[in-house]
Amino acid sequence: MSAVSEKIKNFKIELDERRILRLIGYKKKSYERTDSVKSLIAEEKKKLDDLLQPISIFTIIAYDETNNHPIFMNATKIALCICTIGPKLEEEVKELMKKNEMLRALILDALGSEAVEEVAIQSDEFIAEKAREMNLWPSKRFSPGYKRWDIKEQRFVFQILPSHEIGVSLLKESCMMIPRKSISFRINFYKVQKFSTRKQKN
Amino acid sequence: MDKEELFDKMEKAIIEGDKEEAESLAKEAVKENLDLNEVIEKGCVPGIQKVGDLWEKGEYFLPELITSAECMKAAMEVFKPELKKANIETRSYGKIVIGTVEGDIHDIGKNLVASMLSANGFEVIDLGADVKLEKFIEKSEAENADFICLSALLTTTMLGQKKAIEMLKEKNLFGRFKVLVGGAPVNQKWANDIGADGYAENAMIAVKAVKKLIEE
Repeated sequence: MSAVSEKIKNFKIELDERRILRLIGYKKKSYERTDSVKSLIAEEKKKLDDLLQPISIFTIIAYDETNNHPIFMNATKIALCICTIGPKLEEEVKELMKKNEMLRALILDALGSEAVEEVAIQSDEFIAEKAREMNLWPSKRFSPGYKRWDIKEQRFVFQILPSHEIGVSLLKESCMMIPRKSISFRINFYKVQKFSTRKQKN
Repeated sequence: MDKEELFDKMEKAIIEGDKEEAESLAKEAVKENLDLNEVIEKGCVPGIQKVGDLWEKGEYFLPELITSAECMKAAMEVFKPELKKANIETRSYGKIVIGTVEGDIHDIGKNLVASMLSANGFEVIDLGADVKLEKFIEKSEAENADFICLSALLTTTMLGQKKAIEMLKEKNLFGRFKVLVGGAPVNQKWANDIGADGYAENAMIAVKAVKKLIEE
């Protein structure tokens, strides 16, 4: 079963060096004395144009098109989305590890994590805007495995979305996405403002 | 350069994370026909131990640990074929079989742990990611391993750690190998609940945990 879906392709990905430093294990107070690592981050960042293939796919369905999971309760519409940066970055991380370039591998992996998060943030905002255009209140985004939405619900997301169109597949048993640098989420659209909804944009 | 000077320089290269220098010193040690196990014991090991101390003091962070482990590996890659040629065994603190459990293809964290364990003098047999539980046990038996390290990055796959321990019990092998677990969803309570011997939340703690288990 695949609902009508839409793809988002135009992402502007800017990555914050300080967040990368944090992700690879530095504490805030040590950021100042990380020049050699900062230059490695800069070098790995240069590879991103070739390695990132950011894309997302989403659909908006009605409550009765869901599997009636309680987390969809009271939502007028539900947006489901899968984002990815593609497999190339992960392949490069593997190559670096093979060459005993563990730190570069760790840095590139962190850049990938931040990049896919950025794809999710921008996709989320795009979809929230769709809700506002429908005069509905978008909730925050939630991914399977968080709050009351079990990781196994990943299967429902993949049942609804034609994920192969963006090159993402799901390992049935573990519910892990391939490529690993992928994020799936839902946004509930409500008629009225709720605790979990965000402010309307002016 | 006399050998004492080489030991000091090797130690410094490892502490400072200078991979090229470590490799070049290793080649010089081979060229000078030095006792390579002595170079490891008096140059490399003190270097990596000091790196661990600096991490304990909060002066070094994961990237410095990794860089030093890379240096150690670069030197060892020069030494190993020479030692093998001369039929000399490298000293190992213990044999470790490590991998990410089946259904889980995350491997960067596991690779960091493997790398740090190896840099700290353990013989590491890395089975990779998505490893069948039977394979962990078969390999550990075949290699007469001391430790099995099971990594899992998902709530769905961490159950594999529990199953592996159950399988060891079924095969009457529980207790023969010390089992350590790690990974994002794992914690000490989980390790206790499933009967693991240890839990490590990061690569350096894994080294400490393994060393502690040896002392016990």
